Order: sequence, then structure tokens, then C-alpha cells
Amino acid sequence: MDPVGDPFLRTRFALPLRPDTFIRRERLVAHLDRALDTPLTMINGGAGAGKTLLAADWAETLGQPVAWLTCDPADRAPGVFWAYLLQALRASGVRTADEVGSPADPSRVDHTLLARLAAGLSGRERPAVVILDEYDLVTTPEIADQLEFVLRHAGAGLRLVLVTRTEPLLPLHRYRALGTLTEIRDAELAFTPEEAATLLDLHGLRLSGAGVRALVGRTQGWAAGLRLCALAAQESNDPETYLKEFEAGQSAVADFLLAEVLKQQPPETQELLLRVSVLDRFCPDLANAVTGQQDAEPRLAALHRANAFVHHLGHSWYRLHPLFAEILRAHQRVRLPGLERELHRRAAAWLHRSGPLSETLAHGAAAGDWEFTARVLVDDLAIGQLFLGLRSDDLGELFSRMAPDADGPQAHLVRAARALSTGDIEHGLAHLRGAEEGTAPDLPAPDTAAVQLNCALLEALAARLTGSPGRAEQAARKARLAEQDVPADTLERHPELPALLQTHLGSALLWAGRFEEARTALSAAVASPGGAATALPREEALNHLALIDQIDGRPGRAERKARAAISDAERFSVPQPSGSGLGQLVLAAVAVERNELDEAQALLDQAATRHGAPDPVAAAAHVIAGGRLLLARGDAPAALETAESAVAAAVSSPWAEQQAALIASAAHLAEGRPEAAAKVLDDAARLHPACAAAAARALLASGRADEALRLLDDVRTVEPGGPAVTVRALLVRAQAADLAGDTVAALRLVVQALRQARRELLRRPFLEAGPWIRRLLAAEPAQELAADWLTQRPGPPAGGPPDGALSPAPVVEPLSARERDVLQRLAQMMSTEEIAADLFVSVNTVKTHLKTAYRKLGVNRRNDAVRRARELRLM
Amino acid sequence: MRYEIRVDGHISETLAEAFPELDHVVISGQTVLFGPVVDQAHLYELLARCQSLGLKVLEMRRLPE
Repeated sequence: MDPVGDPFLRTRFALPLRPDTFIRRERLVAHLDRALDTPLTMINGGAGAGKTLLAADWAETLGQPVAWLTCDPADRAPGVFWAYLLQALRASGVRTADEVGSPADPSRVDHTLLARLAAGLSGRERPAVVILDEYDLVTTPEIADQLEFVLRHAGAGLRLVLVTRTEPLLPLHRYRALGTLTEIRDAELAFTPEEAATLLDLHGLRLSGAGVRALVGRTQGWAAGLRLCALAAQESNDPETYLKEFEAGQSAVADFLLAEVLKQQPPETQELLLRVSVLDRFCPDLANAVTGQQDAEPRLAALHRANAFVHHLGHSWYRLHPLFAEILRAHQRVRLPGLERELHRRAAAWLHRSGPLSETLAHGAAAGDWEFTARVLVDDLAIGQLFLGLRSDDLGELFSRMAPDADGPQAHLVRAARALSTGDIEHGLAHLRGAEEGTAPDLPAPDTAAVQLNCALLEALAARLTGSPGRAEQAARKARLAEQDVPADTLERHPELPALLQTHLGSALLWAGRFEEARTALSAAVASPGGAATALPREEALNHLALIDQIDGRPGRAERKARAAISDAERFSVPQPSGSGLGQLVLAAVAVERNELDEAQALLDQAATRHGAPDPVAAAAHVIAGGRLLLARGDAPAALETAESAVAAAVSSPWAEQQAALIASAAHLAEGRPEAAAKVLDDAARLHPACAAAAARALLASGRADEALRLLDDVRTVEPGGPAVTVRALLVRAQAADLAGDTVAALRLVVQALRQARRELLRRPFLEAGPWIRRLLAAEPAQELAADWLTQRPGPPAGGPPDGALSPAPVVEPLSARERDVLQRLAQMMSTEEIAADLFVSVNTVKTHLKTAYRKLGVNRRNDAVRRARELRLM
Repeated sequence: MRYEIRVDGHISETLAEAFPELDHVVISGQTVLFGPVVDQAHLYELLARCQSLGLKVLEMRRLPE
């Protein structure tokens, strides 16, 4: 399978067969033999210059396997190009190609894959010879760079031959300067009078020396021109006179000669040629389908024998010579006006039965038959691929041209899919209703089932995007019913369909806080068959599971899952961040817990570049990571604002609310409002241990130690949660003990907290605990437990502090926004009076803020305060 | 913007249909295709079309407005 899910087109790897009238020109073959000594060879000439047949003939008689690839406009996507190139290498018996794998995403190829390929090739005793025909169709600069990279690193293990009409984007000058380029261009490809005489001879035409020279002059030795001349003259009564007249004429060579040769064909052959001009490649059966006749096979064979118009690709597939295809299309439009769409329609119908899906869709779209095209997509259950990133771009582009009046449930489904994939829920739902209502009762059962199954998938997606678990469950039930009536082999070809469905279901359940059911659905998605097709839903499902761990206070586990999800996705070249960017958001929250704030910021920025539609789960994950980062940076007002930003959804989410309340509470506390901090957690505190710990801390700050401890004792019965939760609870108890003067108990609790936090590098709970903890961390045995990851070892430091740890003083209480405002003005060398005027507060207020800031920073002087605040990246 | 593209030889009316967006005149062994060109991408596409039809481009220039 190629990266767009179709089987590889074998004909693209086949050496084109040489027609009987082919002339081997030894001077060119001898020149081309040098291709074995230089890494790069370029055969560069206009259409019909005889490039392809020269290369094919040389390859055929080389006496060693050659990897041949006829390029295609689809190869502009790097993933597709490399998948085909690797397949060509495999077909020619190059083992390395088996070992390096294959890109799954049409739009990109992983650099490590290219490095592995180059390394594998460089070890070969005999170089692999790769011929890329029609390389001019590959216009992507990126691919030229990648080819150049592989060529450079494969050394003597690779000989690359580019057959092209245009100058390739490789640094040819460098190869020329080093003498490592073999180059055959138009001038050399041109026929000499002697060669032309031999060619004409083969067609039974004997001309005088002067006659041949004149003809070569008129055609400038152009191979296609000479060949057409010979074919046209053959059929005339007096070839010599015919050619003389042609020489004297002023017509464009190819235009005139093709019309002449076409005219000489029997009418049925002309019809055949004009009609197949809409096809890239065809076999007799497909040609019959577009002509409505049954005679394509002998006619194509005869055309190939006469070396007129068609190339034989092997396996009884043909293609028109690219030059003639263009001219024939012009003739077809003039001679069969209005038939082009019908021809595409017939081709699409034939391909639907026996060809690859992508070509069927392309011809269906070219025919403007959108109901058919949409039905093919839906019947094939390929609608899920509109969301897979993998081929979503191509499909999206194709269906963006869909006529607005296209009707039928399938057309509605395509519109719904396109709307939902861009996050336009309102239109998506409207089209889903249209699809439901438009499903006629007389539709055959498998068609109905396909519509229902695709509908269920889209409904599940809509449920996920709107955060409505009920609707998602309904969609899952509907899918289970529909699956029974869909042909099993079609279903088997689309493992991404159930994987996507379970992921959407899991996401909607997770949103509603139904973690156990969510886990079941998400685990099913994660366990779906591996490979490229399911790479995206598997990654998303795993990221959702990571989020559950993070909410539970297990950052280590969350991180492992998110990292595994991303690295697996990268193996299939799924662009990152993918989908909703959830993996990056989970990792950002984990980084904040470890006080790796720059890392967290980078991950948040990365997540912001996602392409997928936002769902409430990702939106909440964004609030959590962003809010905590702001808190850690000491910007409490902004954190509060983030926490209060509402995430729109059909049902409320208990965990999203709790997490937002936690951020709000911490922000209030940092701003010196312990009562408000306790109040925002009022509802949640008795249910969730993390909220209880935060509420207890707020109560403690407002001097209500007894209440705080009672609260902590009350939630003991609830599932305690992971270390990020338990460490915080322990620290509140420690603080309460410390306040009560029981230093021994406080120290014991801090030590216990350190033991739990150390493995996960949980720094944030200690950094936000307050100044009281500094004294305890300095005491044995806490000092030893905190050393190196949380605080610096006493004495001269060995190297810099570890990433995320603070230096030199251990723990700092975050500055309030006002204190930061004051410090920032201090840094601008403003006096206390100036600061007061600037902030519209009294001088005394500024002094109070300064005093608090000094205390928090552990300094006594202005300059030190500014310096410390900068060191700690507090401003 | 408007361009003219001069190609070698007289082209038939049929082939001229491959350039529906352009007018053409035939003069002394050459054909001049001329007309509005949307942008650079269109221009390159026209050149590619000439190449794939086996036409030899002799000259191409932008016409004064």
C-alpha cells in the first residue's frame, strides 16, 4: 500500500517496452554508460526527444537490476514520492529498502528514514541504479533537497539517473565542477542525418542524402517529429514529395504531423485515441469502457507496434505518449465537444469496480458527478480519512470543488465531514441531519449501512467537539448496528473507522468525568491494529489516557504515555502537534509541575500550532497547563483570568471545574486573599483530595488551622490520587504542624513529601509552599533528600544547578502582580515616589510592597532585589 | 497584465484550442499567442503547456498596458 492507502501502481515500476521501430543509438548508449561512474546523470530534453526510450533501452541491456520509477504529479507529496522510490528499489531487489520502512504520511518523510536509506545504500558493493523518468513532474524543492541528501550520503552505493524536461532543482553546478555529472541534453539527443536515414529506412522510406538532411533541418533532429514524419509519409502515395512539401511548410511540427498521422488512422482508432486522452494510463478494458466499444486490445497493440502515440507499460497497461496526450486532448475538445465529462464519468465507473479509490474520486470529480463521487467515498467508508491528516488535504481539496446543488445523503455526509473537520459544528450538524433525512427507505441495505456507519462516526465527532457524552454513546450504538450490514472486507480495510469512533467516544466520556468508561473506549482505540491508518486515533487516544493520569496527579505516568504517543506517531510521520495538540498540553502541565517553565512554554506554543478542531477536553487541558504556568511565573491575575475563562460544552465537566478552581484558589492565595482562595474550592473540597489540600492550605493561611486539618482528614476515605496530590496534602499538614510549633512532626512530614516527590521531580509543590519550608529543607535529613533536584547542595557547587532547580537560595514564594510592578519600575531606576505616582498608590503602599518583595527574595537592598528577581525569572 | 508568447511554426486552429484564454495570429513561420495573464503562476503554466504540446518558444514578453 502507498501512503494514500491505494495499492502501488505496478506499471510505474515497469521499464517501458521499446517498439519494433526503436533505433539503438550507440553514441548515446556509450555516453550513458558513464552513468555507472558518476553519482548523478541527467537526460534533459523536450517532449518527444527520445529520453525515456533511451534510458529504458540502456537499463534493459545493462545486465544488472535497475530501479525504474515513472514519476507522477502525485509524487509532489514527499511521502508519496519516497514510498514509490523505496518500492521501486524493493522491486529491483535492493534489500536496504525493506529495512528502512516507508513513510505513512503522503505530505512528509522522516529525515531519519532518508539517513537510514543512504547509510544502507552506502554499504553496497555494487551501486543501486535508480532511474526516475519524467522527473520534471516532481516540482517540490524539498524532494530535490532530500534526493541530494541521499545521493551525497550514499556515496558509491547509488547511481541516480534523472530523465526530465526541465532543469532539476539539484545543485548541478557542484556536480559539474567536480566532474561527477553525466549530462545528455537536447542537442545530443537530436538525430543526426545518418540516424534519421536509418529510422526512415525502418519505416520503408528511402530518401536521398539531401532529402534526409533537409528533413533533419526542418525537424531539428527531433525524434518525435521524425517518427511522425515517417508515419505520415508511409501512408501517402508519394512519400518523397510528401516530405518535400512538409519541409517547405511553415506549420508547427508536432501539431501538423500529429494531425496528419491521426487523420490516417481508421476512424475507430481515432475515436479510441481521442477518448483515452482523458486517462493517465489504461488497459484495453478501461479503454473499452470509455469508448463503449470492444476493440481496444488489438488497436492498442497495433498502435504500439507502429510506435504511434502509445507506450506499453507492461501487464497490458498503456499510456499515451505525454506529448501526444496533450495534443490529442486539444483535438478531443474540438471534435467531441461536451463529451469530456461523460468520458470521465465512464472512467470513474470502471475504476470504481476495479481501480484505486483515489483515481475513481479524481475522475468522478472531473466528471462533475458529485453524487457518485460522494457515494464512492461513503461506500468505501473512506470518510474517516478526511480527518486523518494523512490524506485529508487531497480529499479536502477534491471535495472543496463539490457543486453546491449535489444532493443525496452521501453528499450531505461529505459536507458534514468537511464542516466538522474545520470545527464548524453548526453546519456539520445541519448536514448530518440532512444525511439522515435524505436516506431513502429504498436504498439497498449495504448502502444504508455505509451511510449509517459514516453518520455515526461524524456524530461521535460532533459529540466530542460539543462535549456531549450522551450523544457519543448514541453514535457508538448506531455504529455497532450498522457494522453488521457493511461488507466485512470493506470494514477490514478501514481499521481507522472504529479507532476514530472509540477515540471520540472516549474523549466525550472523559469530558464528563466518566473516567472508567472513557478508559475502556480509549484503550480499545489504542489497541487497534497498528500501522499508518490508525496512527492518528491511536496517538489521540493515548494522549487522552495521559491526561487522565495527569488529572489524577501522576505526572510521571502521564509523561510516559504522551511521549510514547508522540514517538509512535512520528514513526508514521504524523506531523506534530497532531489532532487537538493534547499530547503537548499534557507534557506542558507536567513540565510546570517540575518547574521546567521554558520547556512548558515551548510545548504550549507548539500546541497552539495544531491543525485539528478544538474540543472541550483540549481546551480544558490548555487552561490547566496555561494557568499553572502563569502561576509559576508569578502572574496571579492572568492565571485567575485563565481559570475563569469558560470552556463551552453541552454538559459540565467536574474535573475541568476542579482544576480551574485549583488555579483560581492558588492565584487568590498568591495575591494575599486566603478567604477567597478557600471559597472558590468550597464545593469541590470535600470530593477531591487535590482540592481538599488546596482548600486546607487556604484555610491555614487565614489562620483556621483546625478546619484545614479536619478537611484533610475528611477526604482520607476518597481515593488519594497520585504523588502530585499527596505531596501537596503532606506539605499542608507539615505547615500546620510547623505553625503549631511542632517542628519535629513538620520535618517528618516534609521528609515524607520529599520521598514521594523525588522520583517524579515534583518541584512545584515545594516552590509554592511558602517561605516556612526553607528552614525545614535546610535541616537533616530533608537537606539530603532535597539536594541536587530541588535545592543546591551546600558548599561549593559542582557544575550548574540541574534543570528546573533554583539557585542559589532554594525556595521562593511567588511575587504578587503588584510587587512585580514595583520591582519592574525599580529596575528602571525609578525612585519610590516616582513608582507611587506611576502606579497611583501612596508611597507607603510602595514601601510595603517592597518590604514583602525583599522578604520573599531574601534580600535587603534594592539592587539585590532586582538582580535576584531577574535570576529567578520572576520578571 | 498582458503577455505575448511567440512560438515556432504555424499552429492549427485545433491546437490553438489548447490556449482558450489567449488569442493568436500567424505570421511568417511563427504564431503569436497573446492575451491576459493572471499572475506568474499562470505564466509558467502557459510555458509548460507550450512544452507539453511540443511547441518551441522563441520569445515571450509583457505587453504595455
